[in-house]
Amino acid sequence: MDQQKNVLVIGAGIAGMKACLLLAKTGKQVYLVEKLPIIGGKTIKNEESFPNLECSTCMVAPVQQEILQHPNIKTLTLSEVEKIEGDIGNFTIIINKKARYVSDTDCIGCDMCFDPCPVSISNEWEENLMNKKAIYVPCSGSLPNVPTIDTEHCYHFNGKQECNACVEACMFEAINFDDKDEKVEIQVGAVIIATGSDIYDVSLLPQFGYGKHPGIYTSMEFERLFASNGPTSGELTIRNSEKTPKSIAIIHCVGRKEQDYCSGICCMYSAKHAHFIKHKLPDTKIYNFYRDICVPGKTYQKFVEKINDIETQMIYHNSMDELNILHNENEITIEYITGKSKKETLTVDMVILASALNPGKDFSDISKMAKIDLDKNGFFITNQEKVGSVESTKPGIFIAGCAEGPKDVQTSVIQAEAAVSGVMSCLDS
Amino acid sequence: MKKKIGVYVCECGPNIADKVDIDKIIETVVAANNSENVEIIGDRHKLLCSAAGKVFLEEEIKNKELTHMVVAACSPRDHNSTFINVCKKTELNPYLYKMVNIREHCAWIIPDKDKATNKAIEYIQGGVARVQYQTELIEKKLDTNPDVLVIGGGIAGIEAAISLAGKKRKVTLIERSAVLGGKSVFLKELLPSQAGKEYINKRIKDLTDNENIQVFLNTEIEKIIGFLGNFEIILSDVTNKDKKTEIKTGATIVATGFGLSDVTEFSNINYDTKDEVYTSLEIEKMLSEKGKLKLSSGVPPKKVGLIHCVGRDEKKYCSQICCNYMMKIANYFKKQSAKIEVKEFYKDLCLPHKDDQKLFNLTKKNGVDLVRIKEVSLNGTKIKYSRIDGTIEENEFDMVVVAPPIIPSDSTKNLSEILDIPLDEFGFFQEAHLSTNPVGTSTDGIFIIGNAQGPRGISNSILMAHAASGQIRTQLIPGEQIVPEVKVSEVLEAFCMGCKNCIDVCCYGAIYFDEIKGISVVNEAICRGCGNCVASCPSGSIRLKHFTNEQIYQEVIEALK
Repeated sequence: MDQQKNVLVIGAGIAGMKACLLLAKTGKQVYLVEKLPIIGGKTIKNEESFPNLECSTCMVAPVQQEILQHPNIKTLTLSEVEKIEGDIGNFTIIINKKARYVSDTDCIGCDMCFDPCPVSISNEWEENLMNKKAIYVPCSGSLPNVPTIDTEHCYHFNGKQECNACVEACMFEAINFDDKDEKVEIQVGAVIIATGSDIYDVSLLPQFGYGKHPGIYTSMEFERLFASNGPTSGELTIRNSEKTPKSIAIIHCVGRKEQDYCSGICCMYSAKHAHFIKHKLPDTKIYNFYRDICVPGKTYQKFVEKINDIETQMIYHNSMDELNILHNENEITIEYITGKSKKETLTVDMVILASALNPGKDFSDISKMAKIDLDKNGFFITNQEKVGSVESTKPGIFIAGCAEGPKDVQTSVIQAEAAVSGVMSCLDS
Repeated sequence: MKKKIGVYVCECGPNIADKVDIDKIIETVVAANNSENVEIIGDRHKLLCSAAGKVFLEEEIKNKELTHMVVAACSPRDHNSTFINVCKKTELNPYLYKMVNIREHCAWIIPDKDKATNKAIEYIQGGVARVQYQTELIEKKLDTNPDVLVIGGGIAGIEAAISLAGKKRKVTLIERSAVLGGKSVFLKELLPSQAGKEYINKRIKDLTDNENIQVFLNTEIEKIIGFLGNFEIILSDVTNKDKKTEIKTGATIVATGFGLSDVTEFSNINYDTKDEVYTSLEIEKMLSEKGKLKLSSGVPPKKVGLIHCVGRDEKKYCSQICCNYMMKIANYFKKQSAKIEVKEFYKDLCLPHKDDQKLFNLTKKNGVDLVRIKEVSLNGTKIKYSRIDGTIEENEFDMVVVAPPIIPSDSTKNLSEILDIPLDEFGFFQEAHLSTNPVGTSTDGIFIIGNAQGPRGISNSILMAHAASGQIRTQLIPGEQIVPEVKVSEVLEAFCMGCKNCIDVCCYGAIYFDEIKGISVVNEAICRGCGNCVASCPSGSIRLKHFTNEQIYQEVIEALK
């Protein structure tokens, strides 16, 4: 195999996976590097996707399976790129592949190791809404369906070497405490950066009271709350209680002003959330606090109108700066300025903060090692001399999906396919 | 010939072994099926998906000379492809193998071991019955033509053609008008970049200079038949319908652009041709032709009103680009003279891309008055509007600009019939999947890009052009063959009555009617094996390979015994 025709894809979300599958069809060796123990990206955190409200797992699982089974794709989970050197057609990449401690060839994903594990820690992938064991998969349905060990909390790695509970429970001798981190060096001709984005940390904005009251959720927390494979198996109950909310306020545009851009997807997912709520709790009142409804393209407006106009009360408010969420033990009160410049309040049981997307924490490291530029917000920037380009500022490196800026699945896929075209241009000409 | 059917039960460690009685299963299945014509070879294995398990199966197929194989293990989602690959390493045709799920369907869900065992036996019995009715299917390879036809010479079509053309891939681009560039040639600036007209002109030159691209102006597509890798196409000259050109390609890209709705069809917009009211595109044309924005009297305007979102409520979609280009136009006026008073009337600001906010910030900085409204109406050059607080105001302007909704290009309907690609509820071409395959269509090998799929800006249209290029370059590699689906429908000629039901229900245009024989015929290269035609056939004359009624009945009957 001509190594110069190999391709590295960083990030196994929908954009990265789509790009991998297309490239692998041409017989190229594709390396897919993902920092989490599982592939699938943020799409699989959603039970249903907008605008067709179809099951996200059903949409993504066949893609994940194909990736894992494809002979031309080498998937490196728990891995991060450490070095990118060289130029178009000839990059040397060093990847740090962290120890999984569970053999992906021997493990069959039977889950027998979880129960005996005596450790219980917060599950970040589930937005900390539930706990996991020190040996875990992030959620049921994870792919690859092979657990990993959290060595920060596992007793065996923290002075209690006698704890072998998981090893004893495993019938396949798949667990190996001696597994070591590995440096993997590969040669590729082109790179696609498809790292996705992070979600704005709403606790930076004290006016919204996030973290101070159990009834205040971020939109991603709400996605997991609704998910049937999530922390409550899909029951919409308020954190640390069995109480179902009788009234819910969805606050749009949280972090928009601070980030100085519109994320373009929040109006859509907020409408989806309203639909979820109506579906499970038909008597619960829903209020949408909005400034602009941004529903670009041919199907989004209809989706939002159908849900918002029928199922929710739309409340226009004058200023994000003057919207405050006050709370005491029993109540959450939203204080806001109406379109008629009047101060009003509304009391609800639950609040969902539709938070902006923002650049990943590792973007700046990646940009330095790849010697490519970021924009003023910290997203990867594409070649500004061309219109509609997915080339980064360095030839041979391409950007796809939310790594370039917030966007929906549709545009992420379009960029991924466009990046594939770019890769084909530089490797086959 | 005596059938030798291997039945292998995977223990899946304790997952299956502890929950069902595997020995009893094998014993029962062997006893129930062994006969003069059938010999069952039953065995168990610790983990069939492991490396050792796969070698074990391979050896069994070879040494025992199996004619069929049933694997009772986990969900086919997990390991069907694993065992198909085992078959492919041997002489056993993979379509003579069947997987039965006794883990998720039996072992994991039934606490009572006897019940679980009995259910597993029923499932495996069904599998053994079915596999005997399965037939060998052989994958065929087809030569492909890597060339591409691009319909539409706007910027999306141009970019697609340039991206795809090469020594080994020729591109034909057809444009029904006499000029290239589409509507983009009128634009002074292309958002979100500062690139302008020169960019479009350069790309038109890149296109016409490219020796691997042939451009036909004044040309339309008249007929297309075929499938991914092999399309036969007839083109005709718009000015002389008898002048026809026949070409062959492997793929077709539809880049027919958009139309603009007549704004006066909306009840809130009323003006006369003599009024100083212009659509956004008319403003761009004025600027590119005259270099300045002036009233018809020749003097520059002093007070300009811009109305966003015209017809959005009626059309039920947001055209996505109007907020951006209206701010661009507002800035054209401000650049011409900072003294021009510019008011923009909008309901919602739609700025979905990270760079859009920059334009918004610039527009405000330039002193444009952005007014959020609830309702707006235009009479001549008088704009009446209600602010968000309910107050109603009316202003007279000396020039008004309106943003009409983007609608499908007028050729869309006709083209959808020629291409047999459905339209969506708004009249744009329907994509294969809005989220996961927005440039694909129901026919493999036909792609839709730019505004042909739905309203979008230049930058996004060009991205789609590259996306279609990415799909074509990975699906149609010059000199390589493709392997079409083998689990396809076939018509049993003797029984077909020629009712054409199947043609109506086929989503892929895979069935055509043979007028001479009076029967339907399936084009196997297009068929995806969905089975719609089978269900619609009143005479039972269509069957889907690998999912024949017989195969399904036998499996069900045996499982229900």
